[in-house]
Amino acid sequence: MSVIALLGSVEIGLVYALVAFGVYLSFRVLNFPDLTVDGSFPLGAAVAATLITKGVDPFIASFAAVLAGAAAGLVTAVLNLRFGILHLLASILTMTALYTVSLRVMGGPNVPLLMVDTVLTPFQGFGMPDYWMKPILFAVITVLVALLLARYLNSESGLALRATGSNPRMARANGISTDAATYLGMGLSNGLVALAGALFAQANGFADATMGIGTIVIGLAAVIIGETLLPARSVLWMLLACLAGSVMYRLAIGFALNADVLGLTASDLNLMTALLVGLALILPRLKREAASRRAKRTQTARPTAASPTAGDKP
Amino acid sequence: MIRCSDLHLTFNRGAPTERLALRGVTLDIPAGEFVTVIGSNGAGKSTLLNALAGDYQPESGAITIDEQDVTAWPSHRRAGLVARVFQDPLAGTCGDMTVEENLALAAGRGNRRGFGLALDAGRRDRFRDTLRDLGLGLENRLGAQMGLLSGGQRQSVSLLMAALQPSRILLLDEHTAALDPKTAAMVMGLTDRIVRDQKLTTLMVTHSMRHALDHGDRTIMLHEGRIVLDIAGDKRKGLTVQDLLDQFARVRNEALDDDKLLLG
Repeated sequence: MSVIALLGSVEIGLVYALVAFGVYLSFRVLNFPDLTVDGSFPLGAAVAATLITKGVDPFIASFAAVLAGAAAGLVTAVLNLRFGILHLLASILTMTALYTVSLRVMGGPNVPLLMVDTVLTPFQGFGMPDYWMKPILFAVITVLVALLLARYLNSESGLALRATGSNPRMARANGISTDAATYLGMGLSNGLVALAGALFAQANGFADATMGIGTIVIGLAAVIIGETLLPARSVLWMLLACLAGSVMYRLAIGFALNADVLGLTASDLNLMTALLVGLALILPRLKREAASRRAKRTQTARPTAASPTAGDKP
Repeated sequence: MIRCSDLHLTFNRGAPTERLALRGVTLDIPAGEFVTVIGSNGAGKSTLLNALAGDYQPESGAITIDEQDVTAWPSHRRAGLVARVFQDPLAGTCGDMTVEENLALAAGRGNRRGFGLALDAGRRDRFRDTLRDLGLGLENRLGAQMGLLSGGQRQSVSLLMAALQPSRILLLDEHTAALDPKTAAMVMGLTDRIVRDQKLTTLMVTHSMRHALDHGDRTIMLHEGRIVLDIAGDKRKGLTVQDLLDQFARVRNEALDDDKLLLG
């Protein structure tokens, strides 16, 4: 794997770290399995790219993308909270609708971003090659977002959000409107994912309606890899673990695709992602089961060492 | 203080599993009174508490707290007036958050939650002092996950959380039922102290006739969604657990006779 390919993987990993933060917010903090992200990622890209080609300042365009993503998250939350549609189904409905919305926004299947100013342009004058500048810039952005998000989740309002996902009945008993917290969290989550889409489009020079496929699995992969490899308890460390998980996921994929012996091509990406996430989910369970089996074996091997109540049983 | 007038509440209305949980509960509780609530399973004790807290909306009747009609208020809006402790020690706290974070959540009850840090040095000191009063050594475990604490410790913290922020009403739903006798006695002692110190108007559901008579100023018995016994003062002082059990049996038989009449 060349240095450029390696840095390219790191760069994409860093952009998708924002997706991982969003997925962490919905799946882990709010306990709301949300598939909207498959739609809000390309929506963010579409809104940012279209506005930029229309001559809007790239920073304002990126901000508009965040708002569009947040609105998408709110739609899912309304379908679930107001109309009682199962969260998974509500998010699938929104995701499906967003495909059309993105096509409409772009006025076609894709928008190229060539010869236009993007959020990256101001940083191109430092004499650093793009393949170094982009990952460094995205590292700064994602760490900054992680710090802000951790600060928010430790605020009064953030604590309310976490309580809503952890124990909604207790949250309500303590005066928290769980509905309001869910709207806020879903908006925030999908806003972050749309920001990732907007940055991805500007870094790669295009927005495409199909670029959202599998976003949720990639985000989940990052969260799960981060949780498995770097178990952490404080919110900030959890977010940094998501960030690391996202980069590690990309590196793993990059190495696999570059290893000629494996004979893998880019079209094998989705199967590999599914396998990787599946493994990350299965392994901790197998480990637990093996541990409990071992514990049982030592117990039966030394019956006298068992608990005193064991003798009472016939 | 609390006034329930003719509360009716039905679960699964219109379904084969329809159940009349409350059928005309009228109850007047003056400020500062500590009422214990007894009754058999399904008598409507918990339903009454949940209706007071706003978890369930009655079909008819009204609830006023402090001269305010709160019947239509959702539970989170009533939380500024009503503090609660649940039967399940897991229900009253967030297990995956730390002890201090749980306390901070409770300290925000009834207030607007802004973007200021939930925990600062001043708050931590206050929490540490409150926890020290418990005598469980929890003042050194502010940063521990709530889920790592024992049931008794969690229930004690739940009680502290309910008392952390001034409120008018304390609702206790069999909050010692899941604890061993020694821990239950400790939690009951703490309950009496908090109720007395903060002059809270309290409703405590309990399965223990002993607790029902030993604590509080007034005892009501629910049966099939109605209040069938309401005693206070000197009449209550002379009462023994056996009297209460006899009363209980009598009420139950009467209800059976009623049903017989209906069926006949």
